Amino acid sequence: MEDRIQFRLKADKAQQGFTSRFSLFSVAAVLLLVFSALLATGMGSVNLSLSEVLNSLLYCRNDLNDNCLVDPISRQIVWDIRLPRILMALITGAGLSVTGAILQSVTRNPLADPYLFGISSGASLGAVIVMAVVSTAMVSITMGALIGGAFSVLLMLVLAGRAAVQVERLLLSGVAVSFMLSAFTSLILYYSNPETAATLLFWMMGSFSNSQWNELWLPTGTLLVGVSLFFIYRRWLIAVQAGDESALTLGIPVNRLRLSMLIVCSAITAVLVAHVGGIGFVGLMIPHISRFIVGAQIHRILFMSLMLGGSFMIWVDVIARSLLKHQVLPVGIVTSAVGSFFFFVILKHRTRLR
Amino acid sequence: MSQDRSILNNPNSNDSSPNDLDADHLSEYADQSEPAGLLKAEKLTWAVDGKTILDDLSFSVGSGEFVGVIGPNGAGKSSLLRCLYRKNQLTSGMVEFAEQSLNDYTMRGLAQKIAVVLQEPPTRFELSVADVIRMGLTPNKPLLSFDTLDDQKAVEEAAEQVELSDKLEQEFNSLSGGEKQRAMIARAILQAPELLLMDEPTNHLDVRHQIEVLELARSLNISVIVSIHDLNLAAAYCDRLILLNRGRIVAQGAPELVLTKQQIQQVFEVNVHVDQHPFNRKLRITYDLGGEKHGR
Repeated sequence: MEDRIQFRLKADKAQQGFTSRFSLFSVAAVLLLVFSALLATGMGSVNLSLSEVLNSLLYCRNDLNDNCLVDPISRQIVWDIRLPRILMALITGAGLSVTGAILQSVTRNPLADPYLFGISSGASLGAVIVMAVVSTAMVSITMGALIGGAFSVLLMLVLAGRAAVQVERLLLSGVAVSFMLSAFTSLILYYSNPETAATLLFWMMGSFSNSQWNELWLPTGTLLVGVSLFFIYRRWLIAVQAGDESALTLGIPVNRLRLSMLIVCSAITAVLVAHVGGIGFVGLMIPHISRFIVGAQIHRILFMSLMLGGSFMIWVDVIARSLLKHQVLPVGIVTSAVGSFFFFVILKHRTRLR
Repeated sequence: MSQDRSILNNPNSNDSSPNDLDADHLSEYADQSEPAGLLKAEKLTWAVDGKTILDDLSFSVGSGEFVGVIGPNGAGKSSLLRCLYRKNQLTSGMVEFAEQSLNDYTMRGLAQKIAVVLQEPPTRFELSVADVIRMGLTPNKPLLSFDTLDDQKAVEEAAEQVELSDKLEQEFNSLSGGEKQRAMIARAILQAPELLLMDEPTNHLDVRHQIEVLELARSLNISVIVSIHDLNLAAAYCDRLILLNRGRIVAQGAPELVLTKQQIQQVFEVNVHVDQHPFNRKLRITYDLGGEKHGR
């Protein structure tokens, strides 16, 4: 009897310990994100102190505020150049990570990432068609990439057809679509002039340089809708992790759930890729790191992915724009370089723990 | 054609003779000798790619009954269970649960009534035991709801019932086979079902854990349908048995009626000796391992 009570106490304590550990990590992650955003706003070719950043953020939205102690140029740097860029980086990082987390759990494939359906090749094809064939005056590159990304998802679903209910076949047809669209991109590039090729190459490697306030709405909105859906269906998403048949016996329409989640994730990814280009590896890496920190419960992973993904991308952008003097490195390069290094460290650490 | 003939040959089949237990009359007999049919299968047939896997099965399971499905590998035991939890759609025939066709239930509605413990629950990610057990709440909770303290308590109680209280925060994958089965039973307990389906829950378990799992299932006091390989365990734990062979029911009823020397020899193609178990007075099946008749 006493043993039982002891067990019970121990179990309770373990439960509490785990929950409070999660709360601790969440607070830390939120703080990390906030400070990353603030610090990153101060960093760049013109360095601003934290107090200057805070002052201009709080009081200098319009010039007429008396409390504004920052000179107009710094104000402009903060509000018109850095802030939209940092927010775009944040949303991109958060969005790609959270879609990665969802895709990994609904396909139960640890290698799944947001570019699963050849979205990035579809977007590239759209962008290159706009650049080389149509004309950027008629359709913006973003619009072209968005259409391309959406097209790739549609194509994949149509080609997969009835096989779309099986994860493996869906993944394979995603790979096939990806190669098919890449072939078209290469073909167009082969016959276009070097400038177009260079522009496309730079676009594909990703950049936050041209981020404007008015471009933020679509990515933010899509991400918010997506995350709400993930949150609403979190019970089902958790249950699917223990296998399709097991989830089916819990009354979950597994195939429909998976397909809708894939489509939501594709929408988020397509919108992000259209705005900032193909930025790889975040969507694969951050969910794994999150899972490592907070365990397998999907809502915890989602929250952690949002925070860590956002923070990570903000710092990637800082490195991209400050590593070389007077030159901005493509974000994709920095992500992959920093990310893979970071990932190796975590993987090693984790193996040692086992 | 054949149907016409059977009606001609059997003048009783259209009017209701007292021996006919069709759906309309079942309730009248319910409180008498027959247990109320919680689950009723009539002419259940399931074919895939033109190949008939389950052929014309009719049986019923009363509430509180512990029914074993036995038969050799490939006899259709798992397929039958799959038909009952609607993973397989019937080709023809029908299954009723609580006097309502299985197809009339919503997915969620069915999951509130029928819980399933599958053979080898696979997980790839590091779900804790508590996470797995908590999944049992899914059918009974609205999508947009948080786990309350009561839910947490229910999880702990279910874990205690299967004696996994001290392992709640462990990784599910780190459990032994028997513990995994018990965790899955705890998950089923949380679903608060009226019927529990178990697909070969004793596979890969040692003797003690096999007994443990079956005892646990019995202790729930709900209807259970379990597919099982060990005939002695089946005889000891089941109220009734359904013996399948090549997708057809060979015999069904009390263990004494089903596990006869002749039927076992016919279906499993081994020589056996059937007598009374010295301890529990149930059937004992002893296999002829001498190999004189069936030897190499």
